[in-house]
Amino acid sequence: MRHGLDSQPGRDGSVIVLQAEHVSKAFGATQALDDVSLELRRGSVHALLGGNGSGKSTLIKAIAGVEPADAGAIAIRGERHDLRTMTPARAREAGLHFVHQQRSTFPDLTVTENLAIGRGFETGVGGRIEWRRARQRAAAVLERFQIDADPDTELGRLGPATQTMVAIARALQDQDGERDGVLLLDEPTASLPAPEVALLLDALRRYAEAGQAIVYVTHRLEEVFAIADRATLLRDGRVVGDVEPRRLDHDGLVELMMGRSVAQIERLRGRPEGRTILTVRGLAAGPLAPLDLDLREGEIVGVAGLTGSGRSTLLKALFGVIPPESGEIRIDGRPRRIGSPPEAMAAGFAYVPEDRQRDAAFPALSVAENLSMTVVPDYWHRGALNRRRERRDALGLFDTFLIAAESDAAPLRSLSGGNQQKVVLARWLRRNPRLLLLDQPTQGVDVGARAEIYELIHDAVAGGAAALLASSDFEELARLCDRVLVLRKGELVAELRDGELDADRIAREANAKVAA
Amino acid sequence: MTLQRPLRHYLEAYAFLGLLVAAAIFFSVWPETGETFTSAANLRTLVSSNSVIAIVALAALVPLVCYEFDLSVGAIAGLSAVFVATALAGGTPVPLAIALGVGLGLGVGCVNALLITRIGVNAVIATLGVSIILAGVVNQKTGGISVTGDIPLGFSEFGSSNWLGVPKIAFVLALIALAVYYLLEHTPYGRYLYAFGSNREAARLVGIRTKLTLGIAFAISGALCGAAGVLQVARAGSADPKVGETFTLPALAAAFLSAAAIKPGRYNVAGTLVAIFFLAVLNNGLNLAGSPEYVSNYVNGVALIVGVGLAVRLGRRQEV
Repeated sequence: MRHGLDSQPGRDGSVIVLQAEHVSKAFGATQALDDVSLELRRGSVHALLGGNGSGKSTLIKAIAGVEPADAGAIAIRGERHDLRTMTPARAREAGLHFVHQQRSTFPDLTVTENLAIGRGFETGVGGRIEWRRARQRAAAVLERFQIDADPDTELGRLGPATQTMVAIARALQDQDGERDGVLLLDEPTASLPAPEVALLLDALRRYAEAGQAIVYVTHRLEEVFAIADRATLLRDGRVVGDVEPRRLDHDGLVELMMGRSVAQIERLRGRPEGRTILTVRGLAAGPLAPLDLDLREGEIVGVAGLTGSGRSTLLKALFGVIPPESGEIRIDGRPRRIGSPPEAMAAGFAYVPEDRQRDAAFPALSVAENLSMTVVPDYWHRGALNRRRERRDALGLFDTFLIAAESDAAPLRSLSGGNQQKVVLARWLRRNPRLLLLDQPTQGVDVGARAEIYELIHDAVAGGAAALLASSDFEELARLCDRVLVLRKGELVAELRDGELDADRIAREANAKVAA
Repeated sequence: MTLQRPLRHYLEAYAFLGLLVAAAIFFSVWPETGETFTSAANLRTLVSSNSVIAIVALAALVPLVCYEFDLSVGAIAGLSAVFVATALAGGTPVPLAIALGVGLGLGVGCVNALLITRIGVNAVIATLGVSIILAGVVNQKTGGISVTGDIPLGFSEFGSSNWLGVPKIAFVLALIALAVYYLLEHTPYGRYLYAFGSNREAARLVGIRTKLTLGIAFAISGALCGAAGVLQVARAGSADPKVGETFTLPALAAAFLSAAAIKPGRYNVAGTLVAIFFLAVLNNGLNLAGSPEYVSNYVNGVALIVGVGLAVRLGRRQEV
């Protein structure tokens, strides 16, 4: 340890280990952070909350020295560090540990290798790696952090929560005293399915009880209520609340966060049943066992299941992304072969993939180009693309789909996550599809944009389409769907409707052990 | 950072063009080079020899928009040049010889396309392998000696004469550049190429036939290289078996550099032309000033690294 702990005692007796003071940062004309301050107490989980583009990630990056701030400082271990000149190396030296939003682990390498990278292998003569020692150390780290994994396993073979835990263990492994270290996590649960989230939250709780101070960035309010001792709420780069979440309810928190109350969208139950659009018989692909399915006009049908249950596979097979091994698809009663995305599109299908960055976004292309990518031939007129009409239509779609963008010519990557997701949705809904295949359509999207996306799905379905909505957010399924199909290891194990539709029931069905 | 947005945008888009103009002005007024540089003969040679390379660069540009490299562009141009010269010397009529050159290029381009899209060979490897094989074919065909023979007078005259004071070859370049520009910017196919280059999985999932798109890009590239080979024969009146290889690197460099000009962060036709002629003016001027040959190596290498570095930075800054 450098020198004795110098931190002041906090108001409620606990010790403040990190103070961020008056942090500001502008990107061009946008004030991403405006005089943000924050206090972190030892042994506490401190949630950093806010909508897309509220400045959460920017704050973490400023503290980490990844993105220098325009003003502000932090105090840790009795030392002040100017955030204008902060560097990652200095942050590390000060006892700050980060797990950033971008994946920072290596799925093809073993747990031992992942833990050693960034820290250095134990080496012997001539720089040779001493694998035995490295492995022993890894085993010790895994035990200390109570991670259920073998040091020789490739990281990619572990569950997503375990992978994140390894990333956290890697960040914390060398902490000299567990008492005054600070761990900052930027949306660690963004891509985790619900049961995995619980696993990770348990681990974080344990680390906090052992004296670790944790800053935790998230969109998911349930998590805040589950583990956070305190929460700082950001909106448009400003602190709009510093609260104890236990003293607030869900709506109160949302209201603080968004600056307006978000009307929860009620399911439109008991609508007249429309005609059957899609009939699927015996569809099998990948992990998916032969499955029957009927979808009617105006229906939103949920597909619930854990990772690997076949929920994404079902959507991909229907869109022709994965060739089905068997099965029959009929649209409006007529058999139809769907062997590729173009064939699926010709049949009136639309597909919003689970991973936007990987499978849907054209980050370098303009928003208008992203919006028109599903309808490019429509703009082909007299031997040229009608760009003027393309841009005019894009501006129209901005209004319809509540897309906030500086201009239609801006590259997609300049938009916030929620707006990018709305662009992807708009790209498909503009085709007036008959069948919407939506895989986690609100992943990584803030509460406000989420409500807007629900509304857009409702409007599309009310216009005579049907939607098949896969999600690991069972709350979302229960709220939005008319009925929910539950998949487990590729088998359809339950169909829940009306009274049976609640998140707990879905979770039980999805998790239940398969009888031997 | 304090610059107003539009101004900064113009700077990014036209800085490279400004450099080209500045270099040209500099060599025109510099006593060492001024007189020779501005002479009509020098300018015409500069334009006509670089027109051929520019066409090869446009050929490399089409697959590059998909973020795929075609390392065989120079080799295809060389192959086409040698076969066209041989055919012409053997009495083949000019239109047929032109068709032969373009057709050969198209054929090799299709082979590239099949290797990459059907068999799944990495494009760098596939086109590198093909270019090595083509070098062998050219060597076998020529024995390493230039094909001179009787090139019809009208044909080589086209390559060395002017129209309105400008080499006729430059007009061919202008036509081809317009065609590639039209293809990339004004057709659905061009849009799909850019989509493919930005995110190929997303392209597949919005219904773009990605393999076909990529395959056609390599076929077009091959055909353009074939045309460049034909023009090389017309310009030189012969076919040097080594000429093709010397095209590849400057052409690829210019295609890369295009992302630093006119449309920052996006490979584009106008940027390619600016890059080609920037490098040409620079090399020509230094040459006239009597600087040793290695200086042009330094200049070309540094220009490539700085240009691409700038393009990457421009692309990244827009992320914020």
